Amino acid sequence: MTSGWLALLSVVVAVSAPVAYALLLRVPLVRNHPEGYVVAFAVAVGLAALAVARARTRRWPAWSALALTGLLLIGGAWFNFVGARVPTTPIALRVGERAPDFTLTDGTGRSVSLADYRGQKPVVLVFYRGYW
Amino acid sequence: MAELQGLGAELSEAERAGVEIVAVSPDTNERSQKLAEGLRLGYRFVADRDLAVARRYGLVHPRGGPNGEDVPRPATIVLDRNGVVRWFSVSTNFQVRPDPGDVLRAIRGLS
Repeated sequence: MTSGWLALLSVVVAVSAPVAYALLLRVPLVRNHPEGYVVAFAVAVGLAALAVARARTRRWPAWSALALTGLLLIGGAWFNFVGARVPTTPIALRVGERAPDFTLTDGTGRSVSLADYRGQKPVVLVFYRGYW
Repeated sequence: MAELQGLGAELSEAERAGVEIVAVSPDTNERSQKLAEGLRLGYRFVADRDLAVARRYGLVHPRGGPNGEDVPRPATIVLDRNGVVRWFSVSTNFQVRPDPGDVLRAIRGLS
């Protein structure tokens, strides 16, 4: 493959990885393996490096691809391994123990208390960060 | 909200009727209401505006929000009908959520 095509392929791989990840967020297998896009960035860097090595006359496409994919690899790796890390804090939950009670209001203004469900039905509590 | 959709989609109608799914976030009720209507999954969305409940559960990620505010650690907790914790999962990477299959197994294992 010529240097130009390798550079193009490298950019396509690097750009499509995060797009595919975002589109497939509902698929748990994809969502729960965000390191996949970091691996794709690394593959793209490898392709760009190969493009640089094969460049004879026009070198800028290969170098541009290497710069872009390199930045994506550093940024993506930082985000996945540092930025998105949630620090482990002591969790006040033990399997086999009763969950702490609480009362909050829902969208219709009704108050929802954990104690209301006791003896009635099982509850799945989902804590999420909010919808941005 | 992929985790909410995933779980709701995999529960059968009978299971949906037999379990209450309570979604807790710092969002305002208005915002959650919109989300609830969009998803149409029949969850109870409750507002934990000041993270008091998240704090009580030990589920606060300090300064983890986009503007440096405290946010909850993503977590899924399965309680039996007596309010006893039977299974839980807390994310260590906020992109990652429990596999809906694992949550389902925990729910099905309650009876």
